[in-house]
Amino acid sequence: MSRIIDIFEQSLKKSTADQTELVCEKEEFYLTRFAESRIHQNIGRADHTLWCRAVIGKKIGVAKTNILSQESINELVKTAIEICSQQVENPRFTSLVSSPKAQQTEGFYKSTAEYSPLNRAKAVKTIVDIAGQDKLATSGMFQTSTTELVVANSLGTRQQGKVTEAKISITLSDNSDRSGFAQAYSRDIKDIDFRDVANRGVQKASRPNKQVELQPGTYTVILEPEAVADFLLFLGFLGFGGRGMFNHRSFMADKIGSAIMSENVTIAEDPINPVIQYMSFDYEGVPRSKVVIVEKGIAKGVVYDSYYAHLNNVQSTGNALQPDNSYGPYPKAMVMDAGDKSLDEMIASTGRGILITHFWYLNFINPMLTTVTGTTRDGTFLIENGKITAPVTDMRISQSMLEAFNNVEALSKQRRLVPKFGVLMYVPAMKIDNFNFVSLA
Amino acid sequence: MDDVKKAGMIALEKAVSAGASYADFRYTYTESESLSYNNGAPESVDESLDKGFGVRVIADGAWGFCSSADVTENEIIRVAEKAVEIAKASAILQTKPVELAPIEIYTDSYISSFNVDPFKISTAEKLQYLAYLDELMSQNEGIKYRNSFLDFRKINKNLLSTEGLDIHQLIVQSGAGVSVTAMRSHRERARRSYPANEGIFECKGYELLDEVDFENNIPIICQQAVALLEAEPCPSKTCDIVLDGSHVSLVIHESIGHALELDRVFGGERNFSGTSFATPEKLDNFKYASDIVSVVADATSPHGLGSFGYDDDGVKAHESDLIREGILVGYLSSRETAKRIGKLSSGAMRADGWGNVPIVRMTNTNLKPGNLTLDELISGVDDGLYMQTTSSWSIDDTRENFQFGCQIAWEIKGGKLGKMIKNPTYGGNTVSFWNSCDGIGNRSLWRVWGTPNCGKGQPGQNGRVGQGAAPVRIRNVKVGF
Repeated sequence: MSRIIDIFEQSLKKSTADQTELVCEKEEFYLTRFAESRIHQNIGRADHTLWCRAVIGKKIGVAKTNILSQESINELVKTAIEICSQQVENPRFTSLVSSPKAQQTEGFYKSTAEYSPLNRAKAVKTIVDIAGQDKLATSGMFQTSTTELVVANSLGTRQQGKVTEAKISITLSDNSDRSGFAQAYSRDIKDIDFRDVANRGVQKASRPNKQVELQPGTYTVILEPEAVADFLLFLGFLGFGGRGMFNHRSFMADKIGSAIMSENVTIAEDPINPVIQYMSFDYEGVPRSKVVIVEKGIAKGVVYDSYYAHLNNVQSTGNALQPDNSYGPYPKAMVMDAGDKSLDEMIASTGRGILITHFWYLNFINPMLTTVTGTTRDGTFLIENGKITAPVTDMRISQSMLEAFNNVEALSKQRRLVPKFGVLMYVPAMKIDNFNFVSLA
Repeated sequence: MDDVKKAGMIALEKAVSAGASYADFRYTYTESESLSYNNGAPESVDESLDKGFGVRVIADGAWGFCSSADVTENEIIRVAEKAVEIAKASAILQTKPVELAPIEIYTDSYISSFNVDPFKISTAEKLQYLAYLDELMSQNEGIKYRNSFLDFRKINKNLLSTEGLDIHQLIVQSGAGVSVTAMRSHRERARRSYPANEGIFECKGYELLDEVDFENNIPIICQQAVALLEAEPCPSKTCDIVLDGSHVSLVIHESIGHALELDRVFGGERNFSGTSFATPEKLDNFKYASDIVSVVADATSPHGLGSFGYDDDGVKAHESDLIREGILVGYLSSRETAKRIGKLSSGAMRADGWGNVPIVRMTNTNLKPGNLTLDELISGVDDGLYMQTTSSWSIDDTRENFQFGCQIAWEIKGGKLGKMIKNPTYGGNTVSFWNSCDGIGNRSLWRVWGTPNCGKGQPGQNGRVGQGAAPVRIRNVKVGF
């Protein structure tokens, strides 16, 4: 990392732009995939992505490379300046940002960074063996990775950070209708209990009784944390970012201070939460901070990078994405407050309902109404008189996510870390009334 | 011997000496440029260079892969040895050694067809073009948001293997598109895009822009977006539908292309992208679609976004049958998966860049054209809808149950188009849907539509694929979810 900073310092000195920003994201990544109870893909990758954002007046140019050398970065800066010179002005742009040093994150664990291919394979074998005892085939993935981020700009910002990730997800199944999904995530590989992951998968895939088909309609549902995270991810993309607030494409626009969810729902972007341990600064070098998004059902705020913060007359919350992104800021580390019931208590309090492990292929039908469709998957169960009585044939939903989060009867006191598409969420299970199913899947 | 070939030879020798029984070395150098314009101002201009290499091996009968952006001798040696270490770790769960279907060994160089190298056109000229498109969109005062983009990619790729493959490929791809949004209130909006939901992408050079009729079509989609604000919602009923070609492309992609990826069929994506209902015992006897439906995988389609010279197993691009007159007759496959069903590879093993392992992907999944005009397709519907341009899509993890949406539709009454309908959606089951297809548009309505962002695999890989499609007519579909 010090080599990268040295290279950046030299290139920043040589830059002829009014303002220059250099970013390096370095990754060492290992991922083992398994299916049919054997490892069919097993990879390692060492990569670094480097961006230069050059500013001349109100013109901006962004260039990217993965060639790391002094010569290459000098060339990268020249390319960004060349793009700048051919650009037209963006009157909305003001400036890059100067940020104080971010507090070092605790999210790096040598145990994860140095986990060997053989250890990954042995962990997979542990799961395969446990599943095999119940005649279940194992498929899944197991990833360990280290990410380093360096940001430097001509306004004095200098940030460096390093985090690790370990994540595993499995689906256990056989040739009948049995299937069960389970996952685990931690910065520290030592926190992942592979036997527990396997046993959770087995428990789901081994529910007694024959699968039943339910009629489409509205049901009380209990979403396990992975299913809650599926919805929260979409809500985050759609509504919890400053771009949507600025152009009024967010369901949060004009709703700050208003009730939009049930009173028992509180959602925050909380990258500094000790469970989350997210990289402590964003791709502009702005320290990440806690942002309350929804508090007891009331819309409170969204997250910003410096560009949309300026347009909305607020401060950046440290949610800038990579310099070449076109999405605008969105939350990357969401935490939902826990409830006061165990999952078993939530099930016991349900007369008739459906327990959902997670969803598949959610997509918007009407973004402004937050209506999505998708199907349940790998662990859907009928609840009758407070007990799980049978697996359910997967069903297609058509549901407004906001309405679902406004019909929350209970939340579990246990929460799980769920990673999805680069967003980390720490969420409870949720019991929701009037959840809409439109067909069998 | 050039530097890349030298690097490859070092990697292959090191992999073999470390214990690999098979190894390949894949190097890619990719230049990319994307530009976008948003309401009269450039939103982004990004240029990117990306290079690196990957070494894939079989050792102790199992797969290993390692890759790096650092193309230096020491790193090549480290990566080759690591790939073998990873393969040997994989082997502790291997019950049967990996076997590969045989291939012909080529030494070849392939260059995709293009006239004008887009990387020789200045950024200023490209921005001028986007400004011109923006100006066209701004002529309609009812349009609130205007977006346009250009996207170019030039991929240099080398593949060497211990079996003797020595292949170089240069592939140039271009993309362009516009979208407009009309708005009555923050929650009442209508979006239209052209030429398709994600624009148009082909293996072509800058000349692509001359071939897209933005000038005549932008005013039409602007008018439609404004009119959609007043249109009636989609009724909930069962009726016949006619789908435009750009949307049929999506339906082929989701319900045929993905369903026939043989790694998925065998469960390789069970934990993520899912499986497929189209299991091997159905091969050559399963009625996937009506008799008029024939589908091929064709990596040689002229200018198709999924076209190339060789796949990443080194299989020469060719056409292979997937569905012939309604019957399932083939899969998209790799050397490994094809061997499991006693066939040769269909040449569909593709990796997203140097840092990912090849997986079975679509190439160009082409529905063969029929013989009807659009008027003939519509005139055969007494009560139904004509839908255009994808807006939403979702399909289950076995590729059977789907729900798709379009940006716009028109009622069909007595074989004639009627009033405009907003937010049209429909759903169904893959097999019954395709078996209800009784009309396909003719060759003049057919083209290969590019999909630039097909997601599959873990870590997620972005695939660039194509679908040959013309408008189709489907009977008795449930619409209006």
